[in-house]
Amino acid sequence: MARAVIVDVLLGLAVAVVLAGTAGVLLMRDAYQKVHYVTPISVVAPVLVGLAILVQSGWTISSGQSWLAVAVMVIASPLLAHATIRAIWIREDSGAGRDLARAGQGGERQDRESQDRERL
Amino acid sequence: MSSFVIAAIAMLTALIPLGVVLCRAELMSAVVAYEAIGSVTILVLMLLAEGFRRPGEFELAVLLAVLLLGGGLVFVRFLERWR
Repeated sequence: MARAVIVDVLLGLAVAVVLAGTAGVLLMRDAYQKVHYVTPISVVAPVLVGLAILVQSGWTISSGQSWLAVAVMVIASPLLAHATIRAIWIREDSGAGRDLARAGQGGERQDRESQDRERL
Repeated sequence: MSSFVIAAIAMLTALIPLGVVLCRAELMSAVVAYEAIGSVTILVLMLLAEGFRRPGEFELAVLLAVLLLGGGLVFVRFLERWR
């Protein structure tokens, strides 16, 4: 009985997290803001579902495989979010151009410093 | 019907607004919605495998989780270069 209640609570929380994240993706204005709402869907909700499966069936092959999927999602999600934000930045704000400009400024600064050292 | 199947159905309803974003929003917002849809689909596969007591179907969720990472990285890598 207690096990069923715990499973229901965990599953309810997972569904709530997914629906809230979905609302965030739907309602936010641009892609930068939308990315933040994907992370709970792909990190928090899988952990809750994995815990529910673990409570329901104990340490079995099912729970082992579900935790394998959860581990892959938890590791992959931040990487994918970072790559997505980088792609958005490069597409919308010309991030590569900014990087080149920064590298140029840094190079000029280094040149100035080396010239100052030579003068001294 | 077990609570796992009910949770899977509830999560499937989340695919409707994500599908709207995927179809109607600008390109990079659609990519974000695609990633969210992939994550929800993995969760639904896990819940259905447990709800119907078919341990073999957990492999689909594991496989999709791995492919979501690889496919997503390739996808955004090409999109950041191709305009």
